[in-house]
Amino acid sequence: MAIVEAHGLTKKFGEFTAVSGLSLEVSEGEVFGFLGPNGAGKTTTIRMLAGTIAPTSGYAVVAGLRPDQEPENLHQYIGLLTENPGFYNRLSARFNLGFFAGFYTGFDTDHQVEKYLRMMGLWERREDRVGTFSKGMKQRLALVRALIHQPRVLFLDEPTAGLDPEAAHEVRDMIQELSSEGQTVFLSTHNLVEAELLCHRIGVVRTELLALDTPENLRRSLFQRQVVVQLENPTTALVNTIASLPFVQKIEQAGNHFRLQLTDPEIYRPDLVKNIVEAGGRVMSVSEERHSLEEIYLSLVREEEDDGQ
Amino acid sequence: MGNKRIINILKKEWRVQSRDLNSILFVTLLPLLIIGQALLIIWLVERFGGDAILANNMFQGAIENLRNALPAVSGLEIERQLQVFLLSQMNVYLLIIPTMIAISFATFSIVDEKLSGSLEALLVTPVRTWELLLSKALAGAVPALLVTWVCGLVLILGVVGIGWGQTVEMIVTPSLFLSLFLLTPAVALLSFLLGVIGSSRAKDARSAQNIVLAIIFPVLAVIGLQVSGLVWLTPLITLALALGVAVLDVFVLRIAVRLFQRESIVVKWQ
Repeated sequence: MAIVEAHGLTKKFGEFTAVSGLSLEVSEGEVFGFLGPNGAGKTTTIRMLAGTIAPTSGYAVVAGLRPDQEPENLHQYIGLLTENPGFYNRLSARFNLGFFAGFYTGFDTDHQVEKYLRMMGLWERREDRVGTFSKGMKQRLALVRALIHQPRVLFLDEPTAGLDPEAAHEVRDMIQELSSEGQTVFLSTHNLVEAELLCHRIGVVRTELLALDTPENLRRSLFQRQVVVQLENPTTALVNTIASLPFVQKIEQAGNHFRLQLTDPEIYRPDLVKNIVEAGGRVMSVSEERHSLEEIYLSLVREEEDDGQ
Repeated sequence: MGNKRIINILKKEWRVQSRDLNSILFVTLLPLLIIGQALLIIWLVERFGGDAILANNMFQGAIENLRNALPAVSGLEIERQLQVFLLSQMNVYLLIIPTMIAISFATFSIVDEKLSGSLEALLVTPVRTWELLLSKALAGAVPALLVTWVCGLVLILGVVGIGWGQTVEMIVTPSLFLSLFLLTPAVALLSFLLGVIGSSRAKDARSAQNIVLAIIFPVLAVIGLQVSGLVWLTPLITLALALGVAVLDVFVLRIAVRLFQRESIVVKWQ
């Protein structure tokens, strides 16, 4: 069941189009990655979905509510982590969280504050002024703020941007933990490793939505799957035998390594190994070449750039 | 729930204010300075300029208004009438205090949150715009009002200290009470609402202060009208003025909500 829907969302700032005709759906419990280069419209999209800015055309439905029509009611059900989270630096972490939690109903504020501060490793610093926190600590605190009222949808806008590797790792762990608990997360990022690690599905955006699918399906749709075989002392005769197999479409050799494009890797990979062994070859390893999300992303973005020229 | 959200913001605002030593010093010292200055002027005028004022035509008109509003004054010596006249300006003079505090503080109320980035986080909570703006205005207006009342008391005690104790009895009138407990709260809220509007529209606190500076002119105009004898704030006029300003408060709050551009704030202030 879709908890986030966008129908032809478009946002223009004067003559500049930030987001154009964006349509997508995110299911409940899904971690959805929203990928795109800087200025691609990721933050603008999140703001439209969160009801802080109104679309120029199109509409969204989030948790059953229209963000452009009932933003305050919607805010009861969503949490948003902005790219540069701000706090009241003179006040303690606990007071800050208690203040933001005070706008919601239906939970024990003290309990929630303690639970998430402990989860984020900030409990010991709860009475310290937020102004004394490092950027990573503030980011974790901001994540707690976005979560404290147990939102149905959590929007995270570049949650690890500017964090050191350790802090970024902690934030990713937290997102994974939330995901395992069934939390719906709409994650905007240009960190491809992060997206691949965390997201069930990915939307690639550059003003328009360029692609939307699971990382695996995007790989399949963009790149032919290739099998990499390592042989011990391959002979020319063996190579010719492999190349002549009816299900081998393409073969590239680099020393003892062969990159093969098969008609259907799932079906013919065992046949390939069998034929090599029968022809006297010794198979050292067989693997499937996986294109990284980075390659998928660059392929999509460059394709879009080429189309635009 | 609206009340809960307003109280929530008020608690936070007051906690932030209490952590800011500069704010505390300003809110306490500025009014005392204004009151001290008022006492000094009254004393100087009475001591050195009394005769000149008594001979002035404008004063004659003003004292006539005073006698109409306060018939008991007619039986006093003319010098005492001058004392009563000068002290009677207190009810409008005190209006300067919340106005000055508003110019200094309300102008930071939204700008500070824009600059710190906390405003966007606030705008994705269920808080309504009117709740946010009203609580921002109340967070300043309530302390400013309390300070004004304390200053009123200090002024009266100061006047007694100067030796005008008998005159003080003449100025503790229904007008003074109506002014302190109806007009001053309404003016304080209005000043802070206008300050919040300026703060929400300005790019920084300095330009917000420039926008909001205009608040003080209507207050100065009321003082000018009373001092010049053109208008005397009788209880009825004070009551009417207080009700008028209260209605204006509601109207200005509605305007503030319309002028508060969430989208512009979120997009431009990052």
